[in-house]
Amino acid sequence: MTLLSLRNIQKHFGAVRAVDGIDLDIRENEFFALLGASGSGKTTLLRMLAGFEAPTGGEILLDGQEISGVPPNKRPVNLMFQSYALFPHMSVAQNIAYGLEMERLPRAEIKTRVDEILEVIQLGDLAKRKPDQLSGGQRQRVALARALVKRPRLLLLDEPLGALDKKLRGEMQLELKRIQDEFGITFIIVTHDQEEALVMADRIAILRDGKLLQCGTPHEIYEHPESRFAADFIGVMNFLPVEQRDGKLLTASGDVITAADALDTGQRGVAAVRPERLHLGDAQGENRLTGKVSALAYHGLDLQLHLMSPAAPDPVMVRLTAGEAETRRLAIGEEVTVSWAAKDTRIFAV
Amino acid sequence: MTDRKPLYLMSPALAWLTAFMVVPCLLILALAFFRRGIYGGIEYTFTLENIALVFDPLYAGVFLKSAGIAGLSALIAVIVGYASAYAIAAAPARRQPVLLFFAVLPFWSNYLVRTYAWIVLLNREGLIASMAHWLGYDGELPKLLYTESAVVVGLVYNYLPFVILACYAPLSRLNPEIAEASRDLGGSGWTTFRRVTLPMTFPGVATGFVFVFVLSIGNFVTPALLGGGQFQMIGNLVYAQFLTANDWPFGAALSMFLIAIMMGLLTLQTFATERASGTRPEAT
Repeated sequence: MTLLSLRNIQKHFGAVRAVDGIDLDIRENEFFALLGASGSGKTTLLRMLAGFEAPTGGEILLDGQEISGVPPNKRPVNLMFQSYALFPHMSVAQNIAYGLEMERLPRAEIKTRVDEILEVIQLGDLAKRKPDQLSGGQRQRVALARALVKRPRLLLLDEPLGALDKKLRGEMQLELKRIQDEFGITFIIVTHDQEEALVMADRIAILRDGKLLQCGTPHEIYEHPESRFAADFIGVMNFLPVEQRDGKLLTASGDVITAADALDTGQRGVAAVRPERLHLGDAQGENRLTGKVSALAYHGLDLQLHLMSPAAPDPVMVRLTAGEAETRRLAIGEEVTVSWAAKDTRIFAV
Repeated sequence: MTDRKPLYLMSPALAWLTAFMVVPCLLILALAFFRRGIYGGIEYTFTLENIALVFDPLYAGVFLKSAGIAGLSALIAVIVGYASAYAIAAAPARRQPVLLFFAVLPFWSNYLVRTYAWIVLLNREGLIASMAHWLGYDGELPKLLYTESAVVVGLVYNYLPFVILACYAPLSRLNPEIAEASRDLGGSGWTTFRRVTLPMTFPGVATGFVFVFVLSIGNFVTPALLGGGQFQMIGNLVYAQFLTANDWPFGAALSMFLIAIMMGLLTLQTFATERASGTRPEAT
């Protein structure tokens, strides 16, 4: 069921079109990610959903109701701020209780619900602490609890893991997903971290310059990027310059590339292939490429190779599984042929 | 090895204050316990009469009256000053220094000149009266100058820049997302102010209030000029004891109580500020 619909949403700041005509439908119970670099309009979009910015044009429908004119304190929507924005003069428990007090709930119910959520975020014994006596990870959980305890229809999270260190971020990604599942609340998360979006989200929308570039499941976005930007933005991608000539796609070194897509005759473009789709030897698909090993990096689970090839201006990245790497000892400077399937090749015009 | 540098660096100031401020103050305070000479001067016999006289209803009344005027002035200054500081802090960042400059500008002019300016405004043929006549008001205007209200107006005006600065500091440091968080959680604008913005900036309010109160309760220039000798505040009383009545011991006793009140309030304010700053705005 659709919970939130955006219809041609616009936000202009003077001449700047921060959000430039976005249409989106977000389903109930979905974990949705707005992914984009800074300046893509993702935070402005989130602030319009929370009610801190009024759209210049378009409609925001929540449960079918237009909410553009509803002030933030009257929306069944809560936002977890990037800075967490905890109240420094209140304890953890008071911070969490604040939103419930605003609903004028009975004291006993507020206490029960605060205790419950403290249990969920495992901060029960820190309830009386002030925010500045907490670690970054603990503050992040308090901010989440403070928004969650109101049981909003929609929870917005602005770069929720941005301030955490890498290890904690990995843990919290799974934790957030578990909590979202447990509470059955729709989450919209804003992030610039594509890995975070891939790991957590049910669906991802890629934003660029205030426009929606592509929207789909992590798998769709990763395997079937619809633009060169999306292909480049998500994960690691090799780009080989190609040109359509005599009904064939030819690389700079004259190799033929076989792919499902094609370009117009004489048109230039790039063939895109993921590092993990490249395999050693010349028999692993229709396409092949030869190059000199310029770098080797062992990561335990896999081995990453950089190949210098006349077919590409940048080193071609190859990601071999541990098993595959064991079949052959590789050394820097060695000449290696890799091959890949036509179905793993995407062609974009430039 | 402990670092003694701070002490060395402080010693000139400490020596100066001790020699020219603490010692004279102690001498004055000691006077409170001696008898007044028959023709003025001091008779060096111990007595508690001067201290007892402070509690005489006549003089205790002056203390209460002064505290009332100082309290009212501080209250008005804090309300007006906080509102101004709030507006300045909400202005675009590049315009804030200019606005602050104008808010504080009167502070750099001479206190007497500023106070005389109010006489020009308030007297019977003054600017306000002329304006009223020019606007067609022919009746008798209420007396403006030489009233308690004139004194309060003068005190508020004089110390307002200080309150604006004291309140602006915490207001400008406030992370705007914190007020937004309150709105997001269901708080109205007023609730957000009452429960989030005001408590977080309370140290500025306390500092502003205490400073206006302390500076007002001991002030003798404004009551003398704008009050026109209609009533006395402690400052005037002390002034009169030392310079007119030539009763230094009683003047000293009055001063002692005045200083005690001020120090008590300043201590309270320091503790309040310290406690509040225990909850620093979170680093992001």
